[in-house]
Order: sequence, then C-alpha cells, then structure tokens
Amino acid sequence: MYGIVDCDNCYVSCERVFRPDLVGKPVVVLSNNDGCVVARSNEAKALGITAGIPYYQLAEKFPDQKIAVFSSNYELYGELTGRVVEIIKKEAPAYFRYSIDECFVKLNGIADLKPWGENLSKTIKQSVGIPVSIGIAPNKTLAKIASRFAKKYRGYRHCCVIDNEEKRRKALSLTGIEDIWGIGRRYTSRIVSSGIKTALDLAKMPESWVRSTFNNIVMLRTWRELNGDDCVPDEQMAAKKSICTSRSFNGMISDISQLRTHIDNYAARCAEKLRMQKTVATILGVFLNTNPFREDLPQYYNFLETRLITPSNSTITIVKTANALLEQLYRPGYRYKKAGVIVMGIAPDSPIQQDLFDTDAEMIAKMRRLDTVVDRINKVNGTETIVLCSQQYPSQNGTGKAEIFANAIKHDFKSANPTTRWSDIIRLK
Amino acid sequence: MAKISIIEGEFEKSLSLQLTESIRAGFPSPAEDYLHESLDFNRDLIRNPQATFYGRVEGNSMIEAGINDGDIAVIDRAAEPQDGDIVVCYINNEFTIKYLDLTHRAEGYIELRPANKDFKPIRINADDDFEVWGVVVWTIKNWKRY
Repeated sequence: MYGIVDCDNCYVSCERVFRPDLVGKPVVVLSNNDGCVVARSNEAKALGITAGIPYYQLAEKFPDQKIAVFSSNYELYGELTGRVVEIIKKEAPAYFRYSIDECFVKLNGIADLKPWGENLSKTIKQSVGIPVSIGIAPNKTLAKIASRFAKKYRGYRHCCVIDNEEKRRKALSLTGIEDIWGIGRRYTSRIVSSGIKTALDLAKMPESWVRSTFNNIVMLRTWRELNGDDCVPDEQMAAKKSICTSRSFNGMISDISQLRTHIDNYAARCAEKLRMQKTVATILGVFLNTNPFREDLPQYYNFLETRLITPSNSTITIVKTANALLEQLYRPGYRYKKAGVIVMGIAPDSPIQQDLFDTDAEMIAKMRRLDTVVDRINKVNGTETIVLCSQQYPSQNGTGKAEIFANAIKHDFKSANPTTRWSDIIRLK
Repeated sequence: MAKISIIEGEFEKSLSLQLTESIRAGFPSPAEDYLHESLDFNRDLIRNPQATFYGRVEGNSMIEAGINDGDIAVIDRAAEPQDGDIVVCYINNEFTIKYLDLTHRAEGYIELRPANKDFKPIRINADDDFEVWGVVVWTIKNWKRY
C-alpha cells in the first residue's frame, strides 16, 4: 500500500504555527514580489478568493473583509516542512518527498493503516503545529484521490483509506477528471469533451480507447492505477529530474546588466539546490520572455541550452555558463518580464564523469571546497550571507552594489524566521 | 517512549567520533575498547528535535523561577503538559511563559501563574479557546560574552 502525506494549505499552516490567533480566520500568502495569491486558508477559499488572484485586486474585490496577508517566506516553509518529513521518515518504512508539501510513503508491513495514519497526523500536528491529510491506497494515483477526501471531510480524522473495491468505486465516482493526479489541463479538456465526467467513467473506458486516444504511457499508467493496478514507477516520486529557478520581475526590464544580476541569482540558487541534494547537472538552460499580456509591446521569447563539459554543481561554473547563454539570448529593444535558469541531466555528485578536455581537476577540487565553505557559512549565518559580487543588486539610494536577492524582491508582509535565525526566535513575555 | 538519540542534519556535524585514529597508527590503542561518543547537548538534551523550538524571555514575570530577561527557553511541543510545568502559551497576540496550574480543573478553570509577586495569574475558563503551545524543557543563560 502507498500513502501520501500532504500539508493542508501548507504555506498558510506554516504562518499559523507562530500566529495561532489566525487559526479559523482568512489568511493568504502571496507569490514572490507580492504579485498574486499562491496559498489560501479554507476561510479565504470560502470567501471566494481564487488561486492566482493579483494582490491589488484583493482590497478591491473584498473591501469589507479582514484578510491576513503574508509575503512568501520560503525559509520558514522549508524548515517547518523539513520537520514534517523527518517525522514521516521515522514512522514509515520508506518515503519519497514529492514536493515542498507532499511526501509519498510505502506502507508495506503496517497492519492497521487507518490508525497508523490518524496517529501520524496527530503527531505532526502536535510536534510541528502543521495539519496534514493522509491518503492511503494500493497505488499512488488512488492515494492522491484518498487524500482529497481526507482533506475535505472532517469525519475521516485526516486519514482516508481506499482498500476495497466498493471504496474505490465510490471515491472515483465523486472525483472529477481535473482532480486526477497526472492528468494535465490539456488532457482534462479532451477527456471531458468526450463526455466523460468522473474518474469512474474514465476508469470504465476500455484500454484500447485510452491507447488510441492518447498514445501516451503516462496516461495509460494513470488509467491502470484508477483500476487498481500499481504501475507508476517510484522514480516519478523521487528526486527531481530538472531544477528551474525563475521569477517574473517586479515591473519590466530592458537593461542587460539588470537581467544579468537576476540570472546570476537564479543560477546560484540552482547550484545550491544541486549541492543540497548531492547531485550535479549536465545541461544548463536559460530562458527570457517579454510580457505576453502586453500585446502593445514587441514580443520576444527564447530559450538556449548548453552542455557543461564536466557535470557541475559549482556556483561559479553555473553562474558563468548561465551568463554566457544570456549574452547570446539577449536582444536589445525589448522589455522583459520573466527569466529563468534550468538545470537538467541531473546525476549523483560522485564520481563525476571527467571530460578529456576539461582536465583541470585541481581547479574543480578547489571550487568544491569553496562551495562547501560558502554553503556552511550561509547555513549558519542565514542564506545569502556570502554571494558572488555579480549577484548583488544596486542599493536603494543608487550607491554601488549592496542588496542581496532576498532584499531586492518585494516582500512587504514577510513574517519572521523563528526556526532559522537567532535574532527572530519567538519572544516570551 | 523510546529515547531518540539520532539527530539529523546540522546536529550530526557536532558529534566528534574518533574511531579511525588508532587504526591508522598501527598500534592498538589501550583506549580503543573504551571509546564512546562525546557528550552532545543537541543529542542528549533535546528529546524531540522536530518538535523543539527556541524562544527569548522578555521581562521579569518568571524571575522567582530563576528565569530572567534575555534567557533562551528550549520548548518541546511534543511533551505532554502537566501540572506545575513551565509552558508557553499564545494569549492576546503574544507568547507568554508561565507555570501551568491545573489544580482547579475540577472547578472549571486553570491558571497560568507567574513567578513574580508583581504579576497576576491568568485565569482560563474551560470554555475559552486555549492551547498550550509547548512545554519549556530547558532554559539557557549566558554569563560571559566572547
């Protein structure tokens, strides 16, 4: 059997750990740069606040509501969800972290699954303060569906188990196509337009129809799992195959030197993430977009990638390579809205395939030592204590380079970091 | 409950294990059979790392309990709060540190008692929305600054 442990309204729940007064009240968390709503409490959803609504529309559309607003604080969310994963690790025979707020578990050998799940949810709530919902079923797709029920109905006490044919049919008949894990928006509309409304309808279609309509292995696996088979491979839930760091800018940017600072920060983040999961990347890509909503302006989109001679996770190498790609991508005369860095071809950190033409092993070892030291300093003293010079933004008053990335992005409503900075630990009166 | 002695992540680095030294030297060390892991606060004092949070004391409400302004409190959310424990609660939009007094539970209320005559106990009625945020397991005082 498989389980999925999912933090309820994750970012909101993290904020509430240190603001228990906000439990039961409408709370939203904004995207980077305070652009739009990315997380909502149940109370905020009940008010009719939709996901993705721009922040400036909140006050216009909900003028008489008291809504608690937070800028996203990933330092806090990362730390608290890390605690949740540590608890899961102790309780489950095997686990795969799937995203910041979701973790798959394998439950072989556990006899009483329902009490196991209820108990895990209770332990996490008490220890960390974050409510989680747990779905348990014979495969990952059905476990995801079970978790939706655990979240939706209090009667499940945070854990829903699909463990027989009757429960499977019942759950599928109450699940829409758009709520099936692994079916994207495009396929959803295709399925719905052929008159199929629920997951049960889809499961009942013959295999030949699925094959001929989609000719897609992922879709076939999903269909099989809806019918009870276990066939989505475990890798699909394990380490990510690519890492992308991208942002929409606060405003638009035409100047290449400003773009460079952004790209260098995204690249540095990718390198850091690679080192965190003890991997290296083989391919690096950079993309650059203008604003598609501004049809009055000239549009330009481009993506370029290159192979790293030696697979790397070094900040300096990855930033340099990303920079070179940006030079090729950049066209003057456009106003850019978004850029990003993607690393792919991710492999374990050692042993790295050394390239014949890149024989400077001594330099690689030196960079590695440097990164280790920088990571350590940034871990102890807070992220971005040490950055590359090229990662710094001009200071507010225009005198030289001073601002780090975290300060250059807009976050007017950011909470403190009581679990990662001594200066922010809670005050006890 | 089993005592948890494995500390993850950052904590691990503070363990100093000296197991390889004697092997490399070629001579069997007479201490070899007596090797033991070094004492480690993170490992030995923190029972539930995932449930442990820190707070800084402000003010003098717990001064007679030996808890002063500026002390650091180690808070365990997984510990079951019991009568007489020092606890952290969230009341009137702030965290407060007080003794938990459950002796009046039968009469329909509990109290959060300060350890300072100048402060009044906080009474919480059974139907108030109230939760103990965590239990204080240690306090740390700094006597000399480096």
